[in-house]
Amino acid sequence: MAESSGVHGEVINENIPVYEYTDVSSKEFHIGAFRDLYLNALNPDVYSYSDHGPEVRDVQLIEDLGIDAETLEELKNICSVDSLKGEHEDTDTVPADPQLATLKLRKRRQDYKDSLTRDLVDRHEAYNNEMEMMCVGKKPDDPANLVPEGEIILTFNVLYPALFQHFKHVRAYQTLNVLGSQKLSELRDAICCVSDLQVFGEFSNNMDAVPQYVSKDHYKSAFFFFNGTFYNDMRFPECRDISTTTIEWAKTRDFPDFKSAKMEDTCFYDLKMKLGFPFYYTHQGDCEHVVVLTDVRLVHKDDCLDQKLYPLITYKHRVVTRKCSVCHTYISRWVTTNDALAPTDPCLFCDQCFRLLHYDDKNNKIGDFLAYAYVDPGTFN
Amino acid sequence: MGSRKACEHYWLPVKNDCEDLLGRFQQTESVRYEEFAAVWREMDFSSVFYGYQSIHEKKSFTRLTLTVAVNYLIPPYSFQIRVGALYMIYGLYNKQLVWPKEKVRIAIKDWFHIQQLIADAKSCQHMDVVYIFWRLLSEKAFYFTAMPKKLTFISGDRVQHNVNEEFRARRDNVAELASADMLEEIANVHGCYERMKNALLPTSAGVTLLNLAGALKKCTFEYQQWQEKAAAARTKNTKKKEASQESESSNRAALVASIKTKSYGHLTKESRSRRHRQTEMATTGPGTDEALFSRKKKPPSLKARTYQSLGNPGETEQTKEWLLSVMEEDKNALKRKRERRFNWSEQ
Repeated sequence: MAESSGVHGEVINENIPVYEYTDVSSKEFHIGAFRDLYLNALNPDVYSYSDHGPEVRDVQLIEDLGIDAETLEELKNICSVDSLKGEHEDTDTVPADPQLATLKLRKRRQDYKDSLTRDLVDRHEAYNNEMEMMCVGKKPDDPANLVPEGEIILTFNVLYPALFQHFKHVRAYQTLNVLGSQKLSELRDAICCVSDLQVFGEFSNNMDAVPQYVSKDHYKSAFFFFNGTFYNDMRFPECRDISTTTIEWAKTRDFPDFKSAKMEDTCFYDLKMKLGFPFYYTHQGDCEHVVVLTDVRLVHKDDCLDQKLYPLITYKHRVVTRKCSVCHTYISRWVTTNDALAPTDPCLFCDQCFRLLHYDDKNNKIGDFLAYAYVDPGTFN
Repeated sequence: MGSRKACEHYWLPVKNDCEDLLGRFQQTESVRYEEFAAVWREMDFSSVFYGYQSIHEKKSFTRLTLTVAVNYLIPPYSFQIRVGALYMIYGLYNKQLVWPKEKVRIAIKDWFHIQQLIADAKSCQHMDVVYIFWRLLSEKAFYFTAMPKKLTFISGDRVQHNVNEEFRARRDNVAELASADMLEEIANVHGCYERMKNALLPTSAGVTLLNLAGALKKCTFEYQQWQEKAAAARTKNTKKKEASQESESSNRAALVASIKTKSYGHLTKESRSRRHRQTEMATTGPGTDEALFSRKKKPPSLKARTYQSLGNPGETEQTKEWLLSVMEEDKNALKRKRERRFNWSEQ
């Protein structure tokens, strides 16, 4: 944070992000300007992907420090990693007599776990790691797709819409990494939401005529609300500016003026954002997601370096898939309401159980019910 | 057990261990890497990462240790502590057990402070400091970020870092006033003044001190010597008092610490009207969090839930068609064997 009260009288630089509320969110800053600041402050070698050979490095070091080769050798010996070696190298178990507070806690936990008959694995963690590891250090086949050095990676947490009062205690979210040079519309395309896949219509009478098009194709309007500006998706002729209602409503109340812009024209470098502050994404008219920008940093050689793979999903909350109420084996595809044959209202069925229960040999409808196509929230697992 | 929850609980022990290490380094009164490495080996600090953990836990824990370490690298800590923190980061980065290695996050607001530190070390010819930093840079150990840690809007992630007063840098106002630059300027101005005076007035009558810069320097030097003597005398006295007071203060500190941890570990009883039970402890995901200022609620026990759905014995029975009634004698058969949960804050 650039102090204004320093002895040397530094100027407050607006583009250096500082905390607005400590540990919660930062003040707003321009992402492109932040990048320029950092790149100016750093030596290009520092953030490049490649590495000079050891001889070149030695020469540089001798020049830099103003020492001679012998001193360098001495330094290397003293400061090598071996100087930190402990007595026992068994990394899987806690040492017998732990002195460190961390180890004491870990030992207690380990003993507790050993005393359990069943140690259940956290289903979120189990596949999480695999998802991250898939893209580590991936280089593209075509060098034109290499992420340029000095590019910014932004990390967004997109929370699933909280529709049920009961499930408030777990905030499910997915994490996406995007490049600074990408447009907002690319982020919008990458967000997986189950409401995009809903199929409309009541099909109890003609269940074979379930249409193949989904809500995503029907209702293409969407907007992001970042820092007082609505970014609308206007790529297709069907898209409408759905933020106008909100902007007009805000004008009649005591709100600051909101602006609006196009999603496909804005790239992330042009944005002024607050880190850690909840922003907004709406699609399908009323499916609302909270979006939090968690991290902005320079790209590193261990990141995924293939531009085509961005926006990259690094974490997805695993939702339990709802199985059929009858067989508990297959994933449910139909939901019925007002059904005299079903034990609950509404009730889920897989395709086969649905047909067997509600239709006779000649495909006539038995009983009175309404049936809708059901898309399981766990489809993205 | 989300690893996020685990990290919250590991934060305090890690902080204490780091402060312990830095405290011992401070006592060696040197900034040499060899001294630091000796302290590290004595404490066997590499074993911080040992133990059987899942990969995810290992990663979060490594990230946590590096975040804690970076906090000590920036002002208001003293030069020695900051150098110690740099060595500590070097040690933690190289001794971590995760691949790909977790990097150290440096926010841009802190980067300038770190550059200043290295420049100071260079000017004082502390070559090992500069070499260590240079090595970390060439191993690409840093992430250059906007803020020091990822800012999710989840309340569980917020931990407050309080500056350790013992490690704070003393503000040396006298030295700042009479710094080398300042003295040079004063000498220049003084020289100019003398020349102009001699040019205007032939006589050498004057009211100013003849050698202002030199006098200032002598004064500050005397002051610093006095300061050091006083500090040495003070530490001798406090060491004597420390032994007697140590037991007393440590008891009190332990008591306060235990009270604090108890209040953070306290779980409130779940209200009975809540039908849907939270998923079991083992399968709760890392996204678990508390609503902003309320405590996490324990899910209702099997007994409470059975009473809810089937009614207390003595009350009217409320049966549902689709639920097989559980005989009261059979309740024990369904009871979970694992009654005791892991208490993170138990001493």
